[in-house]
Amino acid sequence: MNNNQKETKSNPKKGKTLPAEKSIKDAVLNIFKKALADNIVDAVLIPAKVPDTDAYSWILLQDESLFDIADPLPPVMNVQGGRALSSFSKNGELDLKIAALMRPCEVRAAVELLKLHQVDLDNVTLVSIDCPGAMPLRDYMNDPKKINDSFKKISEQWEISESLRPACQNCHRFSLMDGTGSDLHIGLLGENKKVTLISNSSTGRDVMDKLGFEPKDSLDKWKATKEKLVKEKSKKRESFLKEWQEKIKKTDGFFNELNKCINCHNCMNACPICYCQQCYFDSQTINFKPETYLQKSKEKGALRFPLNTLLFHVGRMSHMVLSCVACGACEDACPVSVPVGRLFSMVGDQTQKEFDYIPGLNREDALPLQDFKKDEFCEVETPNECEEKVTEEAK
Amino acid sequence: MNKKIGVYVCECGPNIPERIDIDKVIEELSSMDEVKTVKKHSLLCSNDGKKFLKEDIEKEELSHVVVAACSPKDHENTFMKVCEEAGVNPYLFQLVNIREQCAWMIPDKDEATSKAIKYIKAGIQRVMFHDALKKKELEINVDVLVIGGGISGIEASLSLAGPNRKVYLVEKTDALGGMAGKLSRILPHQGTEMGIVKEKIEQVKNNEHIKVYTSSEVKEVRGFLGNFEAVIKSTQENEEGTEEEIKTGAVVLATGFDLFDLKENPVYGYSENENVVSALEFEDMIHSEKIELKNGKKPKSVALIHCAGRKEKGYCSKVCCMYNLKFAHYLKDNLPDVEVKELYMDLCLPHKQDQSYFDKLKDKGVEFIRMDELVKTKKSGDKIEVEYRNNDKKDKFSVDMVVTSPAMVPSKGTSHLAELMNLPLDESGFFKELHEMLNPVATPMEGVYITGCALGPRNIPESITQSHATSGKILSSLIPGRKVKPEVKVSEIKEDLCTGCQTCLSVCFYGAISYDAFKGVSVVNEAICRGCGSCVGSCPSGAIRSKHFTYYQLYLEVLEALR
Repeated sequence: MNNNQKETKSNPKKGKTLPAEKSIKDAVLNIFKKALADNIVDAVLIPAKVPDTDAYSWILLQDESLFDIADPLPPVMNVQGGRALSSFSKNGELDLKIAALMRPCEVRAAVELLKLHQVDLDNVTLVSIDCPGAMPLRDYMNDPKKINDSFKKISEQWEISESLRPACQNCHRFSLMDGTGSDLHIGLLGENKKVTLISNSSTGRDVMDKLGFEPKDSLDKWKATKEKLVKEKSKKRESFLKEWQEKIKKTDGFFNELNKCINCHNCMNACPICYCQQCYFDSQTINFKPETYLQKSKEKGALRFPLNTLLFHVGRMSHMVLSCVACGACEDACPVSVPVGRLFSMVGDQTQKEFDYIPGLNREDALPLQDFKKDEFCEVETPNECEEKVTEEAK
Repeated sequence: MNKKIGVYVCECGPNIPERIDIDKVIEELSSMDEVKTVKKHSLLCSNDGKKFLKEDIEKEELSHVVVAACSPKDHENTFMKVCEEAGVNPYLFQLVNIREQCAWMIPDKDEATSKAIKYIKAGIQRVMFHDALKKKELEINVDVLVIGGGISGIEASLSLAGPNRKVYLVEKTDALGGMAGKLSRILPHQGTEMGIVKEKIEQVKNNEHIKVYTSSEVKEVRGFLGNFEAVIKSTQENEEGTEEEIKTGAVVLATGFDLFDLKENPVYGYSENENVVSALEFEDMIHSEKIELKNGKKPKSVALIHCAGRKEKGYCSKVCCMYNLKFAHYLKDNLPDVEVKELYMDLCLPHKQDQSYFDKLKDKGVEFIRMDELVKTKKSGDKIEVEYRNNDKKDKFSVDMVVTSPAMVPSKGTSHLAELMNLPLDESGFFKELHEMLNPVATPMEGVYITGCALGPRNIPESITQSHATSGKILSSLIPGRKVKPEVKVSEIKEDLCTGCQTCLSVCFYGAISYDAFKGVSVVNEAICRGCGSCVGSCPSGAIRSKHFTYYQLYLEVLEALR
């Protein structure tokens, strides 16, 4: 996988800086308006504010006049973009060319779903954008105006505010990564009143050429600002991981966090990676005759209902945590404030490291459990001998 | 239907009662509601035991049977057959292993007994939820795919093809004949001219029951005895990539060998010196009847070097000695004044006429020199200086020409093919036979056979013998009209739960699962599935079920065992 990464690593040197006199939002939308008007794409998947309400949603936009309601960076992440993309591109190939504007974590989810055959990206140009984070959905619903205002301030100043969703406070992958996820990226950092369009694949480059945007502007300032912020946020993430590893060191600690769960399975429904048609835990497979439960209750003294609360979370975790992109959609969806996103993100961090795997980074990287590397075998074989053999073979 | 379960505890001679209190087991189980009868027998797998079991099942009118005895590996099939004869569906039967897993494991009799009781109870829970699976009969395909068009593949094809049996012969190069076809002549006591190989190629071409694919390779093979599917891909320039799917009943691998690369070790001086030639190049010289040095002159002295690559590879290639003797005979017969030296590590003259062939050479004045190691072969003026070591003594001589006999190594595609078909290789990289002595042409995959040098160095007669053995195996198992009963304990996919993520495809060892793009779901080919359950474990959606090993059956079994 490491070799693979080296080969596929893209390292854009130049971009196209576009003016944003009126607003960042307008400048970003203009790119998509032009792409649609010039028939470079047939449709745009983009977040939008539902007219006359405070609600946000995804729209697959083909009528230019509807760009009025589109919002490239809404204050909340109501539905994960990977999930939105999957909902219409799952069954077969897309006939239309689509540009999808998403936050980096949503792009990463889309890449994971590609590996699981749950999206079709052949005709999709994935466009990521520097993301300042999003506000907790519940806070926003309680007081949309107040949250809108504070989000505006946070996004202008790139502040790691405590009023952001916990997943966003602890996110260090908020911008373009050194991989083959996005086709295009929109840089907001570094330049004032300007946005920078960066191509990250041949598809992206092709779209830029067609748009007439020659990448000749330096990316130095964007990169420097981004790297500084990545450093700052990585530090924040490290301290979060440390704190939570301590907190749930023992199994009890882990279970205590999940004890509030009411078995609504919202986390599963919001998760972009949970793609099963029907969850095992929603099926009849584990429903038994009453006497089974009476017997169990007799053996244990008492039996807790609803059943399988902990098993559900552990089961879900074992299924998808290697692909968890730490988007926090699960935690946002939880009605009883279980820190489920933080738990998954923390466990994901450790398990993904075991496999040298960063979900959503590269489209070419095989899912860790579907891929077999010879040196992994050494962990179960006699380690020294095995490693010697593998290194020798590699030579 | 009311469940009437019979439990039979086998004593297995003294094996089980020594460690397990069988009467206590019977007493404990008799009190269970679902159990109609519990009986013991001294040796259920004996004829007497089987008769008792059959009669008792019939007498008690049982619906389900549990036998507590040995490992399912030993007698599951035996007792399933008895159930069938007694009119009980063989899948409504469970064998509980109280010998290996209880009696032979636990020294304490009380503990062993209580574990046996738990296990049998778990088996009873499980058997109640078994499905009465039905075996389907499948007509076998009697055609054969032969991979490799050398002498082994040709011989196998010729002995298999006939009015009732079609043979598909796939050769990667553009012509049949393989390595044997490149030889100038074979040993005198095996016939003088290479006409035999040519004749056989003609026979193949004229045989309407053999379809030959040259410049082709096998891209996919899956299935089992009587039921293989294979894809043959053309590598020919103008039809590159054309694919053909065929169905056969058996596969013969006759992929032969390649030669050790003499450039791998500088001591052979192969790339530096134009008058150092390989054995195959020398065959060409004999073929064109022109034994000449590069400057056009006839050599006055020739060294024949055996065992090139033996040290590197670690095995004797078995055939080189005899063809080196053949070279020496040819040299002496055609260039009477030539001086011939044979440099060898060990001589391998195993067949009945080899010794006299060798003795005659001594009469013709060929010098045989034994060496432990070739030190170097280097140019010295017009001559080639050959230096060698025998024991601790180094020595050297000069000759005009050196003929080096490289070792036989696995042919290039061997490891790829092994991976494709899940076949094991030996430490030298050749295919591994199921049993070197007792089953030398079979593989762990039923219906896949190997012949000739794909298994390791051997000569032409041996290869032909093996091809005949292979044909014998196939002819006796793939009889037209015969039916096979494929495994019914296979996987099945619930389409409305399948999300089409295709994880199962990546774990299926047998290639039994394919993706239906129209429906967006994975599909199991029941004829190829062997019921291993890998896909069941890998499916994140729980959409795959293994018949006879369902979640529910396993859950109840485990629950009872842990109670």
